[in-house]
Amino acid sequence: MPCSAARRAAGGAAWPRDPGHPGTRRSAGEKRVALFEVRGLTKRFLGVTAVDGVDLALEPGELVSLIGPNGSGKTTLFNCVTGYLTVDGGRVLFRGRDVTGAPPHRVARLGIGRTFQLVSVFPRLSVLENLLVFLQQHQEEDLMGRLLRTRRLRRLEAAAVDRARSLLDLVGLAGQADVPAGTLSYGQRKLLAFAATLMPDPDLVLLDEPAAAVNPTMINQMKDRILELHRRGKTILLVEHNMDVVMDISQRIVVLDHGQKIAEGPPEAIRRDPRVIEAYFGR
Amino acid sequence: MWAAAGVALVAAPWIVAAAVPGQQRYVLHILIFTGLYGALALSYDLVVGQVGSLSLAHPAFFGIGAYTAALLATEARWPFPAGLLAAVGLAGAAAFLVGFPAFRLAEHSFAIGTLGFAIVTQLVANNWVEFTKGPLCVTGIPRPEFPLPFGLTFRITVLPHFYWASLATLGLTALLYRRMTTFRLGRALNAVRENEPLAAAAGINPLKYRLLAFGVGAALAGGVGAVYAHYISVLCPGELTIGLTVNLLVMLFLGGVGSLRGVLIGAVLFTALPEVLRLAPTWRLVIYGLLLLVIVIRAPEGLDAMLRRAPGSGRRRLAA
Repeated sequence: MPCSAARRAAGGAAWPRDPGHPGTRRSAGEKRVALFEVRGLTKRFLGVTAVDGVDLALEPGELVSLIGPNGSGKTTLFNCVTGYLTVDGGRVLFRGRDVTGAPPHRVARLGIGRTFQLVSVFPRLSVLENLLVFLQQHQEEDLMGRLLRTRRLRRLEAAAVDRARSLLDLVGLAGQADVPAGTLSYGQRKLLAFAATLMPDPDLVLLDEPAAAVNPTMINQMKDRILELHRRGKTILLVEHNMDVVMDISQRIVVLDHGQKIAEGPPEAIRRDPRVIEAYFGR
Repeated sequence: MWAAAGVALVAAPWIVAAAVPGQQRYVLHILIFTGLYGALALSYDLVVGQVGSLSLAHPAFFGIGAYTAALLATEARWPFPAGLLAAVGLAGAAAFLVGFPAFRLAEHSFAIGTLGFAIVTQLVANNWVEFTKGPLCVTGIPRPEFPLPFGLTFRITVLPHFYWASLATLGLTALLYRRMTTFRLGRALNAVRENEPLAAAAGINPLKYRLLAFGVGAALAGGVGAVYAHYISVLCPGELTIGLTVNLLVMLFLGGVGSLRGVLIGAVLFTALPEVLRLAPTWRLVIYGLLLLVIVIRAPEGLDAMLRRAPGSGRRRLAA
């Protein structure tokens, strides 16, 4: 179960090869099953209800955006579903399994990858090592094996290096594989964090503002990469402020305001929704 | 080059005997201390440098190991290897007991929590007179004996033997240190040090790896404590004061925290330096203090980083 993604990844595929991904296999008449589901999620900070009974469901292969004005609870929701914050109510289900309250590392190993809003890398590890860290826990859970460095582990390591190099090619950082990640530019670090999230081939990718604070060229690159990921059948939940990006690539948009879900639907409908316009611009 | 250095290290007793015939015992004593301090500093660096937790409890684990070995040897007549194993095990177990609650504390609180444990340990060693002999010290700790088959025993008696024992302690610690700090295990530890939330997003359980480094570091410190107790043969509570933490921190941070070479440079320099300065007894501590200051100013990341930068100092700005 948790290892299915890892085993696939351990095979050393360059870009996630989506062998028989549910998203591509689904026939038209089949009942759609949610890969990821949030039911009545509530989070309070002292007196403030940051997330207020939000329901959300993602089917396999969907690309959904979560938008809303500043402070509407998007990042809080991310942190709740990935175990970084405890929840005050509601449930989080991944593949029908209750993962509410599971610690972050366990959520990650189940196959949910996430990026952070503030760009997050391991600054003193090399770019390559940054990626390797993201795969190793999914490949091997045996401490003794790690101390003794069995042959199996060496093989896994070689596969991980191969995969890391092809992901670096993909985000255009192949030339910087051996420099400390802390020396990269902001945009490059963002690309690195994105690539790292993909290392273990997660089934669900949560991206927290991938296009924020990067230059327009980089925004287009990022957009292309997210679309490519979507084409390969990954399920993606995106938090983003850049409306051009959101409207361009999302299949469905969920709008939060003051912690509550105020609208949900395809981009065209959201663009015209009076509640959304009101939330963003006031009455 | 490395082989020559290795041979020189092993042959040091003879080299010393040839070079300074009158001072042989004194110089060997310093070398033994250097080896033990090096091993202790490496074990400490697993916690401070590799996983990035500023523990101040290291003297406690060193002390637990030393007292375990000393009391088992004097009171229960245990042979040295058994006492050593008990020291390693007990120090490691103590670290897990302390680590579980202590790692729930954030950075600075963790330092204070572990400092509390170090102080409590020293108070116990000082005041539980019936058990530890308190300030009267545990005396008459026998020379290490290794029982061999056929009723034979190998006894470490003379200084060169102790030197080799110290060298072996350092060598084994360095080997384990390398195993812990490279490849996957090292990456996981360093990831936790660099960015704990991100490490968790990578599937790493930060608490597990912090506890691992803390436990292994403590167990090694306990082992060094056992060797130390058998070497000096008298063990007093004064051996586990905060002063030891300060010495170790100086070695780590001025040598090069998180690097095998840096820590060893620190250990050699700051064990040998105070002795070399005995040439000028009045000014000894003044010179020592000034040297510390100069190093902190000139090489804030440690001597190791300075050495590494030396060839192309033009890159210095870029790396910052």
